Amino acid sequence: MMTPALMKGNEAIAESALRAGVRAYFGYPITPQSELPEYMARRLPEHGGVFLQAESEVAAINMVFGAAGAGVRALISTSGPGFSLMQEGLSYLVGSEVPCVVVDMMRGGPGLGNVAPAQGDYFQATKSAGHGDGRLLVLAPASVQEACDLTLLAFDLADRYRNPVAILGDGLLGQMMEQVVLPDPVTSLRDVTWATTGAGDGPARVITSINLEPEALEAHNRHLQEKYRRAQQEVRWESYRVDDAGVVVVAYGIAARIARTAVDRARARGIDAGLLRPVTLFPFPSRAVAEAAGRARAVLVAELSAGQMVEDVRLAVEGRAPVRFYGRCGGVVFTPPELLEQIERVAAEARSS
Amino acid sequence: MARVVIDQQLCKGCQLCAVVCPPGVLAFSLKLNSAGYHPAVLADDGRCTSCTACALVCPDVAITVYRPEAGAR
Repeated sequence: MMTPALMKGNEAIAESALRAGVRAYFGYPITPQSELPEYMARRLPEHGGVFLQAESEVAAINMVFGAAGAGVRALISTSGPGFSLMQEGLSYLVGSEVPCVVVDMMRGGPGLGNVAPAQGDYFQATKSAGHGDGRLLVLAPASVQEACDLTLLAFDLADRYRNPVAILGDGLLGQMMEQVVLPDPVTSLRDVTWATTGAGDGPARVITSINLEPEALEAHNRHLQEKYRRAQQEVRWESYRVDDAGVVVVAYGIAARIARTAVDRARARGIDAGLLRPVTLFPFPSRAVAEAAGRARAVLVAELSAGQMVEDVRLAVEGRAPVRFYGRCGGVVFTPPELLEQIERVAAEARSS
Repeated sequence: MARVVIDQQLCKGCQLCAVVCPPGVLAFSLKLNSAGYHPAVLADDGRCTSCTACALVCPDVAITVYRPEAGAR
């Protein structure tokens, strides 16, 4: 039995990344994720890795591009404003098919906003990797343990699909301390025969995203889209009391932790509520949401935003059940009693219609 | 008189200490620390009983409570 540690979410991701074999970290400090680069600054040199605080997030993501292109496992972390700055670089990584892991601990926005927990970067993370038709694979942990576990998975998915993978957390997850059992260090070898480590007698290895021939670039786009179709098999979600649920709450990350408590309280009051928690946000668990909605009278989406994932839920539900939304934003976090009231409202509405 | 030392840079303003404080003497600074949080401060040291509930609950070990020596009151 491994001895559990008590760690902040940010630290657990950092330690997990080290055990996944990360040997390059680039970033720029921003609350609420600064413990992550602080941890890396202390520990990465001990593992023979490179820690570098760049002059900006734009520089940092391009340093990741360089290191990852040379076949090194590279990590970068930030919060909303920095994530915006990284979009251009992420597009280049996607276009060049270079793997990396990017952590976004979301905070209240838009603009400089504040340092309190929020989920307003859902669109930016899931809909497009910067410009062009690229996507990030997006994982959304709801506990410190899951943040640790999904970090390992993120590096594996990045390699398997040669694509950047995002871990989408929030200020609460990054700052809260929880028990965590850390993974054993990864010893398996990666296939980096595409990386610029020297071609020997083989063909030259070129990492680039420029392609001036429209037909050739279209073919490359089709290849990327085929990759994202293949990635659908990586879809993950957690169902909690959903099988017999008349009111299905859909929430991810820290919002799902609060929703789970509200679902239990609703059940105690005789309301048949359940919780469906997407763990992968791209690919989105559309089929699971559709099936749960098909058995339910109503769906309630709860987010720490003005309503972003609710659009993917509506696309998945396709009118099988009414989809209602409840959100707080700007760094305000809803409470279990607040969500319970919303579940009761939606349940009553579904009964009367 | 009890003395409560709160590391203003380590505190992330989670407010757990204020929730568990029996006499309710903890408040939050109007100033921001370097991470951008409003750290906890002892607002009324006269009513602090030095029970150490705040220090025990603090997830970041940011609070130290000094008790007066026995008989020193």
